[in-house]
Amino acid sequence: MKANRLAKLSLLTALALIIFVIELRIDIIPIPGAKLGLANIITVYAVYKYSAKETFLIVIARVLLGALFSGNVSALMYSITGAFFCLAGMLLVKRIVPMKYIWLSSIIGALLHNTGQIIVAVSVMRSFAVLSVYPFLIITGCIAGAFTGLCAQFLISRKLPEKGDKS
Amino acid sequence: MTKTVKLLIAAVALILAAAVIWAVIASKDSDSTQVVIVQNNKVIYELDLSTEDDRTFRIESPDGGWNEVSIKDGKISITDADCHDHTCVKTGVLRSESIPIVCLPHKLVIRYADKEQ
Repeated sequence: MKANRLAKLSLLTALALIIFVIELRIDIIPIPGAKLGLANIITVYAVYKYSAKETFLIVIARVLLGALFSGNVSALMYSITGAFFCLAGMLLVKRIVPMKYIWLSSIIGALLHNTGQIIVAVSVMRSFAVLSVYPFLIITGCIAGAFTGLCAQFLISRKLPEKGDKS
Repeated sequence: MTKTVKLLIAAVALILAAAVIWAVIASKDSDSTQVVIVQNNKVIYELDLSTEDDRTFRIESPDGGWNEVSIKDGKISITDADCHDHTCVKTGVLRSESIPIVCLPHKLVIRYADKEQ
């Protein structure tokens, strides 16, 4: 991997982590498991701007380091499964949804993220009781997914300095 | 807007609508008073809220954590816990049959007992 590419990926990972850590402090949604998922702005951006492998690297680094930073390693299984579901879904959706509708793939990613977490929750608790929060997670996922998707859309529409730019 | 994009938007809208309906049905208050507290898939307490006195007690988790459960005026809630997210505390009072109080880190669930039992 070229140094330039590596530096950009690290920068995106660092950005995602900063957003993630700040978001830990925003604690307004009373529904268990519901989150804004602002760090996924970076994921959505990377899915459309970088290769699948590179996006995967960003996401895995963000999830692992995020778990360490938040001191919340016990929830790692939830976040990793959610992130993989979300990433796999968005990489597929990216093929049929043009960049103009990035909010749509973001919503689908958010829904898959929540679905992955519920699957883990059901298998860990061996009970379908947690399934009852699923509809609430779908609703918040749609809203949060649309929001992060629109953020990514604004981000992409701004011309970021490309390779070779000296700014 | 291509056909696939339209189709996907329709699918997402459909899922959202279904979720809203499901959520409305699920959040109906329960008139039952039989409550069970489940830890690690084992029922550790069976309570009848209509006959319980107001009290607060601690449930220790095998992995060292604890949740403080409180019964007041025939309503049950988790008032304190040593987990990091306090989701169970924020859930508040147990109201609906399909929305249990769940503490994922301590694998603790407080819910209404099944009707047939």
